[in-house]
Amino acid sequence: MENEAVVMKNVCKDFKVLNRHEGLAGSIKDLFSHDYKTVSAVKDVSLTVNRGEIIGYLGPNGAGKSTTIKMMTGVLEPSSGEILVNGKVPYKNRTENCENIGVVFGQRSQLWWSLPLIESFKLLRDLYMVPQKEYDEMIELYRSLVDIEPILHKPVRQMSLGQRTLSDILAAFLHNPAIVFLDEPTIGLDVSMKSKIRSLILGLNKEKNTTVILTTHDMGDVDALCKRIVIIDHGQKIYDNDIEHLKNYFGSYRTLKLCLADGTWEETLIDEKTTDVMDVIMARQKETKITDIKILEISTEDVIKKIYEGGSV
Amino acid sequence: MSKKRGLGFYADIYRKILIQDLKSKMSYRADFVISTFGMIMTNLSGFVTFMILFHNFPTINGWDYYHMLFLYGFSLVALTPVQCFFDNNWNLRFMVQSGDFIKYCFRPVNVFFYFMSEVFDVKGLGQLAFGIGTIVYAWIHIGIPVTPLVILKLVVFLFTASLFMIAIMNIAAATCFWIKGSGYVMVIMFRFKDFAKYPSSIFSGVFKVIFTFIIPIAFVAYYPSLVILQPDNVPLLSWLSPLLGLIFFWLSYKFWMLGVRKYDFTGS
Repeated sequence: MENEAVVMKNVCKDFKVLNRHEGLAGSIKDLFSHDYKTVSAVKDVSLTVNRGEIIGYLGPNGAGKSTTIKMMTGVLEPSSGEILVNGKVPYKNRTENCENIGVVFGQRSQLWWSLPLIESFKLLRDLYMVPQKEYDEMIELYRSLVDIEPILHKPVRQMSLGQRTLSDILAAFLHNPAIVFLDEPTIGLDVSMKSKIRSLILGLNKEKNTTVILTTHDMGDVDALCKRIVIIDHGQKIYDNDIEHLKNYFGSYRTLKLCLADGTWEETLIDEKTTDVMDVIMARQKETKITDIKILEISTEDVIKKIYEGGSV
Repeated sequence: MSKKRGLGFYADIYRKILIQDLKSKMSYRADFVISTFGMIMTNLSGFVTFMILFHNFPTINGWDYYHMLFLYGFSLVALTPVQCFFDNNWNLRFMVQSGDFIKYCFRPVNVFFYFMSEVFDVKGLGQLAFGIGTIVYAWIHIGIPVTPLVILKLVVFLFTASLFMIAIMNIAAATCFWIKGSGYVMVIMFRFKDFAKYPSSIFSGVFKVIFTFIIPIAFVAYYPSLVILQPDNVPLLSWLSPLLGLIFFWLSYKFWMLGVRKYDFTGS
């Protein structure tokens, strides 16, 4: 098997959108209108993901993340460019591609709503034609990683959001796919469930060498799971490197927190290369009373924010 | 690397999903009882309307009471598969609009199959029993001979008749991939099924053409049933109905799948 799980070369995806007119007359006009505008959701993205990697695929809302994932899973056809997933073109071999991938869309369960989890697992085993021995081994592995007993016989409908997400992730790994796509897996979960899910993902990745492509807005996920991140904005790839590199690059940035007399904290992001922290404090102190000072290293969250806001890398 | 999934695989998967589905439905006893009761009442009221109508007009276009009854029973049975196996079509537009539909595209099986397999509507079974009862009752009174050949014909033509309604509903449901108001299309098409229980000969001119060739409601009962009811005088369209049914079903399936392909899956 090749070393690359996903190869994308100059991939673009355009959508045709009808220019809608207002009012009743407008809607009638729309019926016969051919007035389309083209919206580019993904522009010239090239990307290679190696086997066993966990990558964070980040970007603000509407940046083109979902569209990219949909192309990799074979649901959408790219307008131009080339995609190979496990060495195959996903759009042309959708069913074949589906055998080797697992997908979790946070908050959108793919399990049979009314069935107990174990019955869903058995149906998936048959659907993916997983040999009984491999299935048993996988369930054993699950048992060793998380406490699945309390949810195994519970219908998905009766589960809490956390249990449902856990179930969906387990279901996505059940047929031991080469790649698992996780779209916001920890959205809306409490802190302990988040960490449980993160360690589960890490454990499965380690045991099965599964490639994981993770999209998230939660930098906690990124810090816990990803060595490498790819950032996309306005359909274009703007960053693709190790997370450490990113931190080094923005290493000269400090978050300065000043506590004012009324007890509120004021936050400022400062680049030490261009601005002296002491100057800022002194300037502010002339204007108002400062009761406390904190200087923090830049967090991943701030780095990403910086990049979204247009800080070049 | 790729695994072969043939007809046997699909039949097996459908059976397993069905068993699980029925098991979970049984566990909601109140729901099960109420929907069964509702189904019996629906059929009963339909039947009573029919009786009242035919006591006032004992024959319509040369069709007497028992022939009409046979046609009625025939349409009920022919409409069972669409009710039992393809009921999820009614949910399609909600799934497409909310974006939930995408989950059906992530499994290594046919999307149409996977989508339809999710819902089995038990209510259709009552309709089936009612329909069979009506056919048998009318059959005895008309005095149609019971031979293996006639039974075989009945089964084959019931099967093909059912394909027409399934195809109509597939097409109506799949319009949601293109238009927002597809709910109306479905409701209108579903209403048309009520015309299936009357002989198409009562419709004149334009309507006859529409119900034969545009929205082929006449094939849901009328044309296929003539093979049994008028064995000496079977129109060509009746003999062709199995072939036409298969073609029409296949086209509706292709249209449905085209919708899946064309759909943008915008929004996450």
